[in-house]
Amino acid sequence: MSTEDKVTIQKMPTGVPGLDEILGGGLPEYSFNVIAGAPGCGKTTLAHQVVFTNATPARPALYFTVLGEPAIKMLRYQQQFRFFDAAKLNTAIRFINLSHVVLEKDLNAVLDEIVKEVEGASPGVVVVDSFRTVVRKAQMGTAELELQGFIQRLALHLTSWQATTFLIGEYVEGEIRDNPVFTVADGLFWLYQQVERNSIVRKLQVMKLRGQISVPGLHTFRITADGVQAFPRTFGLTGRVAKARNRPRLPCGIPELDAMLGGGIPEGDSLLVAGPSGTGKSVLATQFIAEGLRRGEPGIVAIFEERPEEYAGRAAELGMDFAKPQQDGKLSIIYLRPLDLSVDETMREILDAVERTGAKRVVIDSLAGFEMALAPGFRTDFRESLYRMIGALTRTGVTIVSTVEVAETFTELALSPYSISFLSDDIIRLRYVEIDGQLRKVLMVVKMRAGDHSKDIREYEITSEGLRIGERLTGYHGLITGVPDPINPMVRDSEEAPGTQDIKE
Amino acid sequence: MNMVTPAIRDFARRLVALEGSRAESPVTGGSEVVRVCEKLRLPLSKLAGDAGFRSLMSRAVALAKAEIPSLVAVQVRADGSMEGLDGSGHDQDMRVNGQAGIVVVAQLLGLLVTFIGEPLTLRLIRDVWPNASLAGMNTGSDEVL
Repeated sequence: MSTEDKVTIQKMPTGVPGLDEILGGGLPEYSFNVIAGAPGCGKTTLAHQVVFTNATPARPALYFTVLGEPAIKMLRYQQQFRFFDAAKLNTAIRFINLSHVVLEKDLNAVLDEIVKEVEGASPGVVVVDSFRTVVRKAQMGTAELELQGFIQRLALHLTSWQATTFLIGEYVEGEIRDNPVFTVADGLFWLYQQVERNSIVRKLQVMKLRGQISVPGLHTFRITADGVQAFPRTFGLTGRVAKARNRPRLPCGIPELDAMLGGGIPEGDSLLVAGPSGTGKSVLATQFIAEGLRRGEPGIVAIFEERPEEYAGRAAELGMDFAKPQQDGKLSIIYLRPLDLSVDETMREILDAVERTGAKRVVIDSLAGFEMALAPGFRTDFRESLYRMIGALTRTGVTIVSTVEVAETFTELALSPYSISFLSDDIIRLRYVEIDGQLRKVLMVVKMRAGDHSKDIREYEITSEGLRIGERLTGYHGLITGVPDPINPMVRDSEEAPGTQDIKE
Repeated sequence: MNMVTPAIRDFARRLVALEGSRAESPVTGGSEVVRVCEKLRLPLSKLAGDAGFRSLMSRAVALAKAEIPSLVAVQVRADGSMEGLDGSGHDQDMRVNGQAGIVVVAQLLGLLVTFIGEPLTLRLIRDVWPNASLAGMNTGSDEVL
């Protein structure tokens, strides 16, 4: 059978950001699905979101409640979500209580009741919440075959009546085997709520989905006032764009550094600023953003270690006004909630901000803070996650400056504690050097993928206006070890290094 | 939703006409529409079971009723057979053997096309009516069956 001969299975939107991508485009229309998971993992919220997204007066949704959470409580709590639309109640969405039928009668009566309601309303979406309750009651004195027959008849009828169905149940994974519900289901979506040390991480898995290719594995999701938002774990892995060699350069607000970079940072690059604490990594990144704002280029700063007002306050001390650009929508300082983040939601947040502000420049300050903000389980995949995040961000065309703290050693020139230098197109290394009893700072451009760069090692200082870079530091060898020796042993502290004099003026 | 294209409707009309051209079957003893549906019972029961056939028929009748209100008295019995189309109903007005009944067949075919696609639907029909000339017939999509 050729591709053209195959039946087209239409896909229904879930209304859950990110979930359609995980499902391979949406939910297969007329499919019979199970949403499973422990109490509190978001099953009902997910179902409600699907229902409110798809229900119309012509193709309403029927929401059967069974013993679990009664409709009145659902309505009380679910209306707190933004997707809740009271105008749809009793027109596009109908709640039907099946508790009495389940309690007093048998499976046939339950089926008859559902069939009667479905044939009367011709719904596009049907939810049974909780189906586990139906089955548990039925299992008391009901043969397994009878139960299987009930589930199969229910699935057949709802599909024949062109309804996309969701059975919600509090299942544990050990129940997957030999459970007729899972055998009959076209789609099986499992929601988890994992405790990782003191952090909570929500994840979902598409365990089964007939008729289309979904993204395998565990995907993180979050429940906010907007409802469920899912973060596909393959986000950022596809569609890298080729970069032209002669791209425009983005000046970073420090003319000497721009000269060292050959005119600035190539547009669309990811630049890593590495150095130990106190060497001015954040100052450099702040100047990069400020220069962009000065040129009318919107920017985004993702921070993890301090709050936006503190960050803007530090910029103000350097003479940079970050308050007005924020008010004007030109600058977004994203403070990401620490301790239980996933990389995927961080990525989504930054990408949404890029789209919202039209940002050309992005600063991630710092990668160490980012790592600390992640839930413990995600820290083990940090390197791979950074690879995806930087890929996804640069694909949008933005230029990224990330800062990373490296422990200073006096035997090697470390570039990053994460072995991520291959992720960066360009690397600037800041480091301390001990010269004549003083702790001085030097800067060097280690790598630039797009072309030549200065090979100089230059001394610099952090002033009230930002980084000031002096001349090339000559007269020493072994500068990158941090403990250089004078080439001419007669050179002493009284003979200032060439660059230093400039800086102090 | 179920999209019954003009081609599917024409297809249904030709199947009903095909049955009409034959001697009355002792199986149903009624209208051509009922005979078409009854002939589809066996292959559809194989595919969906008896309950599934009943569900498909009830859905097709419900969709047809929405389109042709005069079909209001047509019912699907528990075994999936139809009542009210074969002239056995009490109300003579409900004996809708002509154009209205064809809509039921068209809706049933439309459901099949929705669920299993045109090629398999046509293959199923060819199995039921092997001598019927369906060459060049299509159900309305871009492809020619």
